[in-house]
Amino acid sequence: MFHDPAAALGAPKRITVMQGQVYVGTGQNEILTTVLGSCIACCLYDPLARVGGMNHFLLAEPSPGSGTVADQNYGVYLMELLINQMMTRGGVKSRMKAHVYGGANMHVGMTRIGDANTRFARNFLAAENIPILRMDTGGETARRVDFDPVKGRTRCKIVEPVAAPAPKPIPVPQTSGGEVELF
Amino acid sequence: MAENIHVLTVDDSASMRALLRAALTSRGYNVSQAEDGVAALEWLKDNSSDVDVIVTDINMPRMDGFGLIEALRGQSRFRDCPILVLSTESSDEKKARARSAGATGWIVKPFDAEKLDTALRRVTH
Repeated sequence: MFHDPAAALGAPKRITVMQGQVYVGTGQNEILTTVLGSCIACCLYDPLARVGGMNHFLLAEPSPGSGTVADQNYGVYLMELLINQMMTRGGVKSRMKAHVYGGANMHVGMTRIGDANTRFARNFLAAENIPILRMDTGGETARRVDFDPVKGRTRCKIVEPVAAPAPKPIPVPQTSGGEVELF
Repeated sequence: MAENIHVLTVDDSASMRALLRAALTSRGYNVSQAEDGVAALEWLKDNSSDVDVIVTDINMPRMDGFGLIEALRGQSRFRDCPILVLSTESSDEKKARARSAGATGWIVKPFDAEKLDTALRRVTH
């Protein structure tokens, strides 16, 4: 039988939320964690349902008229995915609170993707009437975020830039979205 | 271009509504929008004769997409109106439920504007 020393000691299970992913807590003893450069991680929490989740996105949204699909590289998709998965676990949108981290501009002189991502997160949450309780964004340093999805607590620490994975678009399989099935 | 096709999109996400509006109006659709099932039914009370096709999300506050489809299929005006689900969900169970409620089809988010356009044309012609 598989032996998990951390679980045996009562330590929480650590779940890494990679770029392009969404994870909503299962109600077990878990800590969601990620390392961010220019990417954003949004942690949502419903204090009544005690349901929380985190996403990790690379870019805000495709330019209007670009013809680009808002896939898992984009916040506009991953925010909705997070909200929907929270709702299926008993979360109620009007009760959700947000913490937003990341959005650093890691490379001086290059496009300020971090600023654009931060702006997107703030605007998205305002449009959805989800209050931001804590926001730690910008600067030129990487961050590690830990989130307890049952208690809604977050911890954000500055880390060495080398700890942040280089952001790059995830190749999206042709069948990953937009499939049409007529009944 | 789809100048004569009037689409009602129902989605609680303001950002998703903006994306849909941009994708559909640029292809010539006439677009109206509601933020959930209750708002859609309210709007349709006064505008039911205008709409050719409805595109609805599933997970929404107040009234979800399943509830909206069932309510619409109970009205004679909408018994045959095409209703497409547009959702981040893709489980067979949810699709079966939508089908049994009377949905015409299911499209998985993130949506591809070209595929959505093709589906809308197919169900409205």
